[in-house]
Amino acid sequence: MSLESLPVILVATPGITFLALSVVWLLGGHLPERVVSRLTKGVYAFLTLVAAVIFWRMWQEDLHAVRVSLGAHWFKVSHYEFPLTILLDRLSLPIVTVTVILAGIVGSFSVSYLHRDPGFYRFFLLLHLFTFGALLVFMADSLDVLIAGWEIVGITSVLLISFFQYRPDPVRNALRVFATYRVADLFMLVAVFLAHHWFNTTSWNGMFTGEWPGHVNNLVGSEAAIVAVLLVFAASGKSAQGPFCGWLVRAMEGPTPSSAVFYGAISVHAGAYLLLRVEPLIHYSAVATGLVIFIGLTTAFLGTLVHRTCADAKTSLAYASQTQLGLIFAEIGFGWTTFAIIHLISHAVLRTLQFLRSPSMLRDYNRVHAAAGGRIDPTGEHYESLLPKKIQLWLYRIALGRGFYDAIVDRFIVVPAVAFARFLGVFDLRMAVKSAPLPPAGETARSSVS
Amino acid sequence: MQFLSFPYLTLGIGALLVGAAVSIRAKSPRVVAIVAGLAALACFLLSSREIGLAGHERLFDPWLPWFDADALDGVPMAFFAALTLLVIVLAPKRDAGGLALSGILLLSAATQTAYSAANLAMLAAGWWLTSLPFVLRMFGGLSGQKISQGFLIASSISLTAAIAVLHHIEIEEISHASNLAFGLIILAVALRKGLFPLHGWMIRAFEHGPLLPLALLFNGHLGALLIARSETTALTLSEKHVLDFLSIVALATALITSTRAFAETKPRRMLGLLCLSQASFILAGIATASAEGIAGGLVHWLVVSAASTGLICIVRVLEVRVSGSADPSSHLGLATKAPRLATFFLVCGLALIGLPGTLGYCAEDLLFHGALGNHPWLGIALPVATAFNAINLLRIFSTLFLGVLPKHVIDIPDALPRERWPLAVIAVFLVVGGIFPSQVLHWREAAAHQIESALGIGH
Repeated sequence: MSLESLPVILVATPGITFLALSVVWLLGGHLPERVVSRLTKGVYAFLTLVAAVIFWRMWQEDLHAVRVSLGAHWFKVSHYEFPLTILLDRLSLPIVTVTVILAGIVGSFSVSYLHRDPGFYRFFLLLHLFTFGALLVFMADSLDVLIAGWEIVGITSVLLISFFQYRPDPVRNALRVFATYRVADLFMLVAVFLAHHWFNTTSWNGMFTGEWPGHVNNLVGSEAAIVAVLLVFAASGKSAQGPFCGWLVRAMEGPTPSSAVFYGAISVHAGAYLLLRVEPLIHYSAVATGLVIFIGLTTAFLGTLVHRTCADAKTSLAYASQTQLGLIFAEIGFGWTTFAIIHLISHAVLRTLQFLRSPSMLRDYNRVHAAAGGRIDPTGEHYESLLPKKIQLWLYRIALGRGFYDAIVDRFIVVPAVAFARFLGVFDLRMAVKSAPLPPAGETARSSVS
Repeated sequence: MQFLSFPYLTLGIGALLVGAAVSIRAKSPRVVAIVAGLAALACFLLSSREIGLAGHERLFDPWLPWFDADALDGVPMAFFAALTLLVIVLAPKRDAGGLALSGILLLSAATQTAYSAANLAMLAAGWWLTSLPFVLRMFGGLSGQKISQGFLIASSISLTAAIAVLHHIEIEEISHASNLAFGLIILAVALRKGLFPLHGWMIRAFEHGPLLPLALLFNGHLGALLIARSETTALTLSEKHVLDFLSIVALATALITSTRAFAETKPRRMLGLLCLSQASFILAGIATASAEGIAGGLVHWLVVSAASTGLICIVRVLEVRVSGSADPSSHLGLATKAPRLATFFLVCGLALIGLPGTLGYCAEDLLFHGALGNHPWLGIALPVATAFNAINLLRIFSTLFLGVLPKHVIDIPDALPRERWPLAVIAVFLVVGGIFPSQVLHWREAAAHQIESALGIGH
């Protein structure tokens, strides 16, 4: 089998699995748990094998990148065409490999974790869709393809946050997360359109010269700086950094395996991946570089502060993730690329383990202490202890209020937006209207089958 | 003058009219309506195929030559016939009485007349006829419809007046008269499409009116058709300021309706605002006057038609099943009982707002790129409206399908086979069209070039 066909198989397999499972379900079929779990394990074992074979063949043939064009173009009108090209290089291959391995581990874990859950089938459907979206993000050879995977990952994430749909909180939080995603994705969309408009390209080949790492930026001028800043905000949205730092903790409403795969392992790192991919463009603009460092460091500071005042395991892990991602952002801003990749991958692996172990945290805690021969007292040696008492209290209050992020967003964004929406009601035709006839009384359930 | 090999247009419209006449008193009106709908669909599909084979030439009907079909209206005719059939099949029993189905067929016949009109007079006749089933109250005497009827009639009067002005002008007065006629046509389009600030009646119709006929009325997109047919009106639409004006109005509609929906809680009103906002992209696409933007607008026409019909039908089906769903005080949590309806709703909704992997994504991608070329602010602002619409879509979805199931909803059926297959057809079109968009674009590419050259700003 040619090396060029392997990346296509890698990215298409989860997509085809998702489509097949969806069609079976929509047409009234139902696969038993055992079949779904075996299929999932089989698919991820196969994906891992394919990733390993690609890795081996690239190493053997001393290839730095494999670029595969899926036909001439996806669609074309007049002079505008949408090329469909995927890329595996020294940046994407390690992340793709980690993605399929971690998604496989989470899938395997979920088989017993969600055993007999009413949403079992739905979870695995969404897991396959997510894997497809994530692979599309990491293997995209252009911003156009990347954004397709980016949005698929986003919608899958939201649907898994509202997995326990019969509880009000997950529903409310899913909506809030989705709103945040959409606002952040706007920056990405506008960046893509502007890149097309100003530079007639969004492909890595057009934007940069050479292969990663060491590729050189081709985009220049203030337009390039604007695109870079927009991409920084888009990446911040996906990685819950800076102005978008509030959604990650709300996303913890989903089942633990989805928290692991999205907010520990893969999804939150997509923002950092984007920054690594467009690193020369970021460094071309001092504003974008400064913004990455500023956003990363402030989020890391807030995250580490808040994480220690959280009462539950998953929320604490969410803030811890945010902290590490902030540091990864800062590392990218400082140009420590290799270090950032090592940090990203090791963080993904460790955080997945922590998320998956979080339901057993008390047991683990007791086991560690028992193994140490008694209770280990906390040292209490945190950086806050170096600060004056008054500032410590002030910081504690901020940490308890989680940076007052939600209050600020509600007061300065949500409330004015809804007030403005209400004001727009002046254009409505509001006249006294008798209510439209309602269905006959009691026509609610069986009797009202249409 | 070239003719179709068979009088497909006359027969298609005739089948709908005969179906409308027979179904009123038929014992099984749905069966009659389905047969009429199928016959019309076959006719319009065959005419569309013939246009494609003839290289998208304008082909006249051999029996009634005031009907014709070309690249612009061939596909929408077949598509609208399919939508009519889907609505007839999906209609709940209480909406599928003889008179209501007759009204739906009449509405479809009127829209097809407007599509296939070979001149402005026929287009105006179709335009007028679309108001008829509502004025005759064929869908029941629901309160609050008078305003909607008033707006429909006003738009028809405006179009008729524009045609009268165009018909009577002398050569020396052509500039003033064409300006007046242009103003009247824009007014007719704004009234019909519910463009800002005349969008209120459409939202009101969504809230109080009969939803399924409204889906067909809304998805006729006759306003967009009229603008796209600008060359037949002999107006100065190629002037840049005219296109700028249209794009501003379309953009304002998209942004204002999408923002307004944040203050709404009723699913019908939210759905109305969502559909209206997304539908205004069609006009925005045509107003870009670039091949990409126009092609995007024309593909978006199909996406909006299919997706909004799916959404509207699902909302109506749920209203019939569950009392209080028209104005729910809290989340209804219906996904537990009706997961397939929830999935179909999500697929249609996500396609409408342009999720990658659906046809909506390709349409919006082209549309935004086209807009950036000629109107950069339009290209940047439209994604904002899309983002707002996406949030509102999820709000409707969560209101209807997520949350705690109310105690009075003991057991409701999920999608019945009669509902499942039409909804599956819509979903397959939106998803398969999204994965392989070239074929759908091929259907609309010739029309896009035709409009581009008619507007006179070709590249």
